[in-house]
Amino acid sequence: MSTHSFQIEVPDTVIARARRGEVAAFEQIYRAFERPAYTLALRLTADAELARDVVHDAMLRVFDRVRQFRGDAPFWGWLRQIVLNEALMRLRRGRALTFEDVPDDETLPSDAPAPWLHADTRLLEGALARLPAMTRSVIWLYHVEGYTHVEIAQMTGMTTSFSKSQLARGTARLRQLLQPTAEVAPCLTVPA
Amino acid sequence: MLDRARMKFDPDDASLGAALRGLPAAEAPADLWSSIAGDLSDRRTVARRRGIAVPLAAAAALLAAVLLWLPSRPPVPDAGVAGGTSAATTADAETARLRARSQRIEQWLAALPAASQQDGRNLMATVETEDLIALVDMQLGAARSAEEALPLWRQRVALLEDLAVIRSTPYGLTGDRSLADASTGDVTSL
Repeated sequence: MSTHSFQIEVPDTVIARARRGEVAAFEQIYRAFERPAYTLALRLTADAELARDVVHDAMLRVFDRVRQFRGDAPFWGWLRQIVLNEALMRLRRGRALTFEDVPDDETLPSDAPAPWLHADTRLLEGALARLPAMTRSVIWLYHVEGYTHVEIAQMTGMTTSFSKSQLARGTARLRQLLQPTAEVAPCLTVPA
Repeated sequence: MLDRARMKFDPDDASLGAALRGLPAAEAPADLWSSIAGDLSDRRTVARRRGIAVPLAAAAALLAAVLLWLPSRPPVPDAGVAGGTSAATTADAETARLRARSQRIEQWLAALPAASQQDGRNLMATVETEDLIALVDMQLGAARSAEEALPLWRQRVALLEDLAVIRSTPYGLTGDRSLADASTGDVTSL
């Protein structure tokens, strides 16, 4: 399980107290999920302020709807879906759901070692943030949150093949962004 | 995962996934909970107020229905004098009945609790109706006979009934129909 995993079990008693409107129980839920929720929002939006708004509104939505939680699926999955929907809705509203549109020949696998293997955290985060929002979202949802292309297609309103192509194109773009820039030797030609 | 794309081994896929999962979790802003808790508190207050206001409005609407219905029952004809009453006596009697009804509705309106205040649209409707009542009152002041005053009293009572419906509705009659209908069903059906 990664450090930002949502897979946190919430005791039934806490959910029952939250259903009764107990703010203390709701704070317990918030504290348990604040990091994965904020991380998901930040990775999808690449904007700290927007991510804050996403978590804020998503948590209020959780509070409003906790009585509707039926308990037939894990609570964490239900909560994650609310955060995810809120983030995608915000990106859509801001017309920020742009996607990578590079030619297919650039997405071919490369023989060179994957640059993310050795890239430091800051570089990888920076490269991820430079991807278009839709492409970044597909990559994150697929690789980190473990959603399938079918599920991603349903959430984003796109097709499964679109999700797959965004994953391939986004991966190629990340590779480009993380390639060390070739050092250019200074021109030392001496005039005749 | 049943995704076909996941069944094919792609070293890029696996290593990128591992690298992304290895990124540290982001720290949520420290003041985010206090902001959420503040909004939660506001929501709970609104919900509590609504919880009180809606039953109050329903009770008020029911009371209005009873108050408005009781005096408007047609008078039971008196068999002994039915044929012999003059037009003036009839007008006087009906004016007295309408005057009493008018007073009852005004008393009821004056006793309306503050919790059943209206929204912007209802407030405008209230002001307009009250203006019309004031206009009718001016005409009543100038009326020279009971026959002349009678239609004005009818109009006044009808306007007061409208006002009672508006005042006992906590939400815009033209806005959220479900809430308005739920809280004023008895009044509007009169």
